[in-house]
Amino acid sequence: MIRMPLNKNARVAAFSALAAAVMVGAAYAAVPLYDLFCRVTGYGGTTQVAVGEAGAILDREVTVYFDANTNRNLPWSFEPVQRSITVRVGETALAYYTATNNSSQPVTGVATYNVAPYKAATYFSKLECFCFTEQTLQPGESIEMPVLFFVDPLIDEERRMDDVASITLSYTFFESEDGGSASSDAAP
Amino acid sequence: MSADAATHDDHTPSMWDWRRWVLSTNHKDIGTMYLVFAIFAGIIGGGLSGLIRWELMEPGLQVFTGEDTGWGALFGNAHNYNVVTTMHALIMIFFMVMPAMIGGFGNWFVPLMIGAPDMAFPRMNNISFWLLPASFALALMSMFVPGAGADLGFGGGWVLYPPLSTSGHNGPAMDLLILSLHIAGVSSILGAINFITTIFNMRAPGMTIHKMPLFVWSVLVTVFLLLLSLPVLAGALTMLLTDRNFGTAFFAPEGGGDPVMYQHLFWFFGHPEVYILILPGFGIVSHIVSTFSRKPIFGYLGMAYAMVAIGFIGFIVWAHHMYTVGMPVDLKAYFVAATMVIAVPTGIKIFSWIATMWGGSIEFRTPMMWAIGFIFLFTVGGVTGVVLANAGVDQALHDTYYVVAHFHYVLSLGAVFAIFAGWYYWFEKIFGVKYNSFLARAQFFFFFIGANVIFFPQHFLGLNGMPRRYVDYPDAFEFWNAVSSWGYVIMLVGMVLFFAVLIDAMIRRRKADANPWGEGATTLEWTLSSPPPFHQFSELPKIK
Ligand code: HEM
Ligand SMILES: [Cu+2]
Repeated sequence: MIRMPLNKNARVAAFSALAAAVMVGAAYAAVPLYDLFCRVTGYGGTTQVAVGEAGAILDREVTVYFDANTNRNLPWSFEPVQRSITVRVGETALAYYTATNNSSQPVTGVATYNVAPYKAATYFSKLECFCFTEQTLQPGESIEMPVLFFVDPLIDEERRMDDVASITLSYTFFESEDGGSASSDAAP
Repeated sequence: MSADAATHDDHTPSMWDWRRWVLSTNHKDIGTMYLVFAIFAGIIGGGLSGLIRWELMEPGLQVFTGEDTGWGALFGNAHNYNVVTTMHALIMIFFMVMPAMIGGFGNWFVPLMIGAPDMAFPRMNNISFWLLPASFALALMSMFVPGAGADLGFGGGWVLYPPLSTSGHNGPAMDLLILSLHIAGVSSILGAINFITTIFNMRAPGMTIHKMPLFVWSVLVTVFLLLLSLPVLAGALTMLLTDRNFGTAFFAPEGGGDPVMYQHLFWFFGHPEVYILILPGFGIVSHIVSTFSRKPIFGYLGMAYAMVAIGFIGFIVWAHHMYTVGMPVDLKAYFVAATMVIAVPTGIKIFSWIATMWGGSIEFRTPMMWAIGFIFLFTVGGVTGVVLANAGVDQALHDTYYVVAHFHYVLSLGAVFAIFAGWYYWFEKIFGVKYNSFLARAQFFFFFIGANVIFFPQHFLGLNGMPRRYVDYPDAFEFWNAVSSWGYVIMLVGMVLFFAVLIDAMIRRRKADANPWGEGATTLEWTLSSPPPFHQFSELPKIK
């Protein structure tokens, strides 16, 4: 009958299989890339981490509102101490949140955060934040947790940011399971 | 192996020899098995959608009441309603449309149309097929094992978003579903590799890439989309699996993950997937329109490269499914623009079909009616797609019945009509017997009217804010829901007629012609007998 060009076929098949394997790899590569992308672009309201103060302090004022959410699996109450602070752009400000462990066991929590409007995220810099680390609370313990932040003066040079008069900083506290998944406590 | 085949050239093994099917390496037999499998899965998937329409016929709970009816709570509670919608979608996508178009028609006609004796890797072809029943069995099993708490099955929607698919469903149902989709994915990827190799290497002399029939082009683009998008789904599913069972936190914010990233990964697969479901249909419809207009297809190259363009652009528009997750405005603007661009090659196809018919001597044979039905319905779905592409509009319409109407116009009307068009175009070629075209046309009319009655009112429901994936709705939505459910009954009559056509053809066994369609049918499969010999083209055809 006909002669099957086997090696030629094997070559195309191998290239195709390689392409599929690369795409699986790309899916996993998306994990660190996505994280990096969020940090660099402020995508989804991911705020910046600053090492030093802003330098310049402008006359423009921005009101920063504080928002707190608690995952329903975490037996804590978690609230901002102040609803809002009005700061001058570039000025370093300190805000507090309180958290109380209402359960009878020590619980470790970790907070995720973002700001709204998202576009302001690249200009919202935190010097210090309780969200950088995990927090462990003993049964019944209450703590005050600081956030040290400033609004980057560069915000004033961007026309798109002219309408930003207020920024909402939002946290959600989850129970930390040391990288554990949320489903591991719910065995079938 | 080939020497053996040569001696047995025209010796067709018996229908009743199980080895012919289980151990099959013959592309036509495997194609037939895919078609039978798709019909079987379609019955189950269609039955599930019947439960949905029955439940939504009136406000309140009809079917998924959770009350003991004497046989126990027969269909379960509201959770099971969500299981049913989830499984309806997954079954129709992975076990009906894909097997029918790619596995069924693709296996049957890609080798025939390019003048090849078989697929490049016939044994791999066998594996591709037999993975599917295994995968389907796992998917069906998942409906009957604990999903969320004591409730059976996974009810988080076919998109399997976390946290519903991780912490939201702690039972094994979701794990079975992940495994099922993994296996279906492997099956499709092996199939894709097989098609790519076949189309690249096994074309008859003279069959250059720019002479390939459009159906072959459509399958080629489709399998490239499969090859590049399915592995991303596989990756995302594996992350779900490890998040669920092995303590990773890809999508769990408490561990530093992000559930929205799942949506990006899913739709990076999901948008190409919706085109995977329709592209082979484009190919089928092109042949039918050209055959029954007795003209070559208008703008052949434009048609081929429109599909290539759709394939490329299909990879860069995924976030139009996620406008409401909270994207920056600029990113939305990009995805709006990119999405709108897809409408251009899609429009090229529609206008070329119309231009092919223009001035042709059109015959309204059965497949042509289905093909024209396809063009009309697909266009309606394309238009609502462009409406949804606008991020601002979509803010209101996302996850409403408007979206349901959109994708059913392109899928359960578009893709399904293309499948039936192909079915009636190639029926005689595949089975070697004629069908009763009166019954087949009656089926078309019931389908066309039924499908429109089901889905057109869903635009109104969506525009009025009725959300998808709820077992109940406010009284205000009753009228159009009732209409929609009656549409299902009309379509069901069409389905009965479909089986009537089959049974009639089976009983009467009128011998088919090699080419029932006359001079308009120009592709190579019509040069062979109906059904074609068990092994064809041992002498390769020469294409001028
Ligand atoms: C003109 C081309 C098209 C455009 C501009 C378009 C646009 C869109 C948009 C923006 C959505 C998201 C709506 C939402 O969830 O809020 C959507 C959903 C969808 N589209 Fe299309 N579409 C087009 C063609 C198609 C085709 C050809 C198919 C398949 C054959 C398809 C299948 C789907 C499906 C299945 C969904 C819903 C997925 C889900 O949420 O479950 N679309 N489309
Ligand atoms: Cu899409």
